[in-house]
Amino acid sequence: MATTADTFQAHAEDHHHDADHKPSFFARWFMSTNHKDIGTLYLIFAIIAGIVGGAFSGMMRMELAEPGIQYLHTFATWFGAENPSMDEALHTWNVLITAHGLIMVFFMVMPAIIGGFGNWFVPIMIGAPDMAFPRMNNISFWLTVAGFLSLLMSAFMPGGTGTGAGVGWTVYAPLSTSGSVGPAMDFAIFSLHLAGAGSILGATNFITTIFNMRAPGMTLHKMPLFVWSVLVTAFLLLLALPVLAAAITMLLTDRNFGTTFFDPSGGGDPVLYQHLFWFFGHPEVYIMILPGFGIVSQIIATFSRKPVFGYLGMAYAMVAIGVVGFIVWAHHMYTVGLDVNTKMYFTAATMVIAVPTGIKIFSWIATMWGGSIELKSPMVWAIGFIFLFTVGGVTGVYLSNGGIDNYVHDTYFVVAHFHYVLSLGAVTALFAGFYYWFPKMSGKMHSEVLAHLHFWVFFIGVNLIFFPQHFLGLQGMPRRYPDYPEAFAQWNEISSLGYEITVVSIAIWFVNIAYAFIAGKKAEGNYWGEGATTLEWTLSSPPPFHQFETLPVIEDKGHH
Amino acid sequence: MNLGDIARKRLLFSTLGTAFVTALTAPMAAFAQEAEEAVIEEAAPAAPAFEHYGPDMIKGQPIDGAWNIQTQYSPIGHEGAWMHNTILMGVMIGISLLILFLLLYVLLRYNKRANPVPSKTSHNTAIEVIWTIVPVFILLIIAVPSIQLLAAQYESPPEDAVTVKVTGYQWYWGYEYPDHGVGEFVSNMMPEDEARAAGYPAQLAVDNRMVVPVGVPIRLQIIGADVIHSFAVPSLWTKLDAVPGKLNETTMQVDEPGIYYGQCSELCGARHGFMPIAVEAVPLDRFEQWVASRGGTMPGAEVVEAVVEDATEEPAAEEAVSVEETPVA
Amino acid sequence: MASAHIEHRNRKTMLMAFGIALGMLGLGYASVPLYRIFCQVTGFGGTTQVATEAEADLAARMAQSAGGVTYSVRFDANTASDMPWTFRPVQVTDTVSVGQRDMATYIARNNSSVPITGTATFNVEPEQAGAYFNKIQCFCFTEQTLQPGQEVRMPVLYYVDPKALDDPNMEGVEQITLSYTFHRAKTDS
Repeated sequence: MATTADTFQAHAEDHHHDADHKPSFFARWFMSTNHKDIGTLYLIFAIIAGIVGGAFSGMMRMELAEPGIQYLHTFATWFGAENPSMDEALHTWNVLITAHGLIMVFFMVMPAIIGGFGNWFVPIMIGAPDMAFPRMNNISFWLTVAGFLSLLMSAFMPGGTGTGAGVGWTVYAPLSTSGSVGPAMDFAIFSLHLAGAGSILGATNFITTIFNMRAPGMTLHKMPLFVWSVLVTAFLLLLALPVLAAAITMLLTDRNFGTTFFDPSGGGDPVLYQHLFWFFGHPEVYIMILPGFGIVSQIIATFSRKPVFGYLGMAYAMVAIGVVGFIVWAHHMYTVGLDVNTKMYFTAATMVIAVPTGIKIFSWIATMWGGSIELKSPMVWAIGFIFLFTVGGVTGVYLSNGGIDNYVHDTYFVVAHFHYVLSLGAVTALFAGFYYWFPKMSGKMHSEVLAHLHFWVFFIGVNLIFFPQHFLGLQGMPRRYPDYPEAFAQWNEISSLGYEITVVSIAIWFVNIAYAFIAGKKAEGNYWGEGATTLEWTLSSPPPFHQFETLPVIEDKGHH
Repeated sequence: MNLGDIARKRLLFSTLGTAFVTALTAPMAAFAQEAEEAVIEEAAPAAPAFEHYGPDMIKGQPIDGAWNIQTQYSPIGHEGAWMHNTILMGVMIGISLLILFLLLYVLLRYNKRANPVPSKTSHNTAIEVIWTIVPVFILLIIAVPSIQLLAAQYESPPEDAVTVKVTGYQWYWGYEYPDHGVGEFVSNMMPEDEARAAGYPAQLAVDNRMVVPVGVPIRLQIIGADVIHSFAVPSLWTKLDAVPGKLNETTMQVDEPGIYYGQCSELCGARHGFMPIAVEAVPLDRFEQWVASRGGTMPGAEVVEAVVEDATEEPAAEEAVSVEETPVA
Repeated sequence: MASAHIEHRNRKTMLMAFGIALGMLGLGYASVPLYRIFCQVTGFGGTTQVATEAEADLAARMAQSAGGVTYSVRFDANTASDMPWTFRPVQVTDTVSVGQRDMATYIARNNSSVPITGTATFNVEPEQAGAYFNKIQCFCFTEQTLQPGQEVRMPVLYYVDPKALDDPNMEGVEQITLSYTFHRAKTDS
């Protein structure tokens, strides 16, 4: 065993000679090759990006709190417009929605859940000393940061009607080609290239790590479900992101080099861009939520003090969701003018996803069934996740119906749906994972009281934001609107109120982090007790700079 | 609705106007377009004025504080509303409540105090099969009416449907009635103050509404001129993208006279939120008046001319062809 | 050596992963021609078919057994918003027997004071009719340059394939619309 451990250490040998030696501050945090440090960097980055993206949603909720245009002119000046015209102000709205979407998807949820928790815990959970390619790991992170900066810069550049790229996160042609003159759009597209390249490298790293670096006895069917979820996610990234890269590269050449891939004036088809985008975009949704499934599975098992119910079904349900996720993309394009057979196929295929998703939800409940449930903060968040994700899931079944989509397509119902799955689903899973692992990562216990308070304020806040948006959508309010007829005023006001409550919950979270670092008790190795059985709980909190100098041997009883 | 009846009524009404137009166009075949445009421009001031509906006739619009779909005013809308209310709302609420109930139950029954010793059960093939099969059946229950609804939306409009050509621009709509000789007119959002003063909902009211007859199928042909827009009228269960370079077609039908509002539903740039749609559905005779006020004529003109007195079942094909030969030759 | 062995395996897995990513990237680009071919072959998205004279003759013979079923055909013309042409069909609708060749004429006129080159895109509605709408000759996709004020007539020779009658998806279709849009050619700017 020891020889194998040496092997892994060889990668880092330039910098570290033994487990306790840590490099200097600059070398440790800017040239880091340690999976835990990189994971920490990803988490800090995601929090910063989340604050920026969340601030953008705050600006949007401010503007939407009541009918009329109240703040957009002011916001436009923040992005460098002097005495903005009405059109420039309205363009600023489109910049906000675009930046909010791209930041939350590419620079908040993905870095946090894959880059942060994935980097931190996948190697530990499979008993590996580090990721397979530690230096590539570092490159992945800094590419993501560069992407984020490129996107932020784009907001201050000329983008056609005003400053910034105002096309929505879907970047549909021809609005993103002939419809957006100026470098803002190019920089926004380039930021996706950078983030995408970073994610592809990261995915390669995870796949190699999970396939080759498992400790002896850690067979694929014994891996914790979080590792399974990251493995499936990595494959989705590897298959989906290059298609996005191709699509947006073609956008760039259409914009700058006279090609006509998506330009009808040269025989191109703008609808093809949508096909390509959603071929990436739908798996992308699962990329954001699958690791959340993994986290929730770990937590539910831990605090029910029971092994996960139907482990294999759970693992292969995720594989099934991943596979089916690639053949349902056109349900995002029901109104683009598809023929009836295509629409019927995509309706049926989309509905199929409800089956493996249902298996997961029922299995979580079955895991709790007969358990001895301890309502610690991660468990409260995880149970909240199950309910919120169920609500997002049933509205997903609703939206899968091509005939119904004729009514709700591009309305706030869709906005409510995907925020229930992502903002309430993935983010709730992120917070669950945060409270589950924060003491492990920092060595300090957070306050359970504040964590529970954080949950309840957040739960009330986000539901107030997004539940009324279902009603707005059913009443026909289209999405991506900076203003609306008076008839949409009431629910919008409540929605904006919900945002304020959510901000309070985030403040509680920061207070809790500060509390942990200032006054938090020192965390033991396994502070959650006997229910926590995966390998990270066999290490100290925080784990040594290099763990598993001697590889753990996994007993036959397994660790799921 | 019997389409034949409508067609015949239209024929009678427009005989006179048709004779006039035919007489005008035949000798100037090569300049047909210019001639027609000239006629429209000159005729417009002289044409009978058409009185549009006022705010009391607004039917399709959002209501503040309402939580369900808008009241539907079309056959497909009734079908969709049934699907929404009866099938899907039930499934959504039912499943959400079931999961909520199960979560609360396990929390009460299997919390640490109530159940200090956890079981070690981690498999039960029977229950796993059940929770795989039961959702499949629920999905089948949804899928059957869902596919029927889809198919109904794709019923092709009949040949004599009223054709409206809709073009999306940044940031307004253009409407054209190619069969009625009504050239494209532009529909802009009514300034908000003006709309409020007149009693219309701001940001929904427009200066020129798209006018259609009630009770008959309308062939909507939608295309974009610059970027992608989307033509949407919720209360008529209609939404279709306006894609540049590709014509899309759908059938729309309105049950009763009224004004039905919609909004552009695909991000199209700065004023995406300010290019509303207003459909004014009117009885057929009023529609004819409106067409006349726009300088157009009801279709079927050529048919009447060719058939003269014999209004029986002469296939439309031949007339159309014979007329074609005149201008082309 | 175990270490060399692991590193070798890791590199192999990495290369395979990169291979998959590169393959998907290639597929992304290849989708442009593939999608076009797919549309042309299946008529997806209302893409019209291109037929030779011989195929048209064959269709006409086949159609004789169809007993003179007719379709109404609508001709639709559009110009992109940056295109200073007027473009319209001579005749808005026409009725054709299945399998019979027919000719439609469009008229385009350059209203600007400079020569302008245009290219046309086209599709038919309803979408499922695309597979059966055959054009024997047309102006689509050949770039047309019109001098200031110049007006040209553009003929389209087409027929509706009798196979349409066997397709259940074509049931209830009474009218087929052929739509053209003239765009300013990108080379023209």
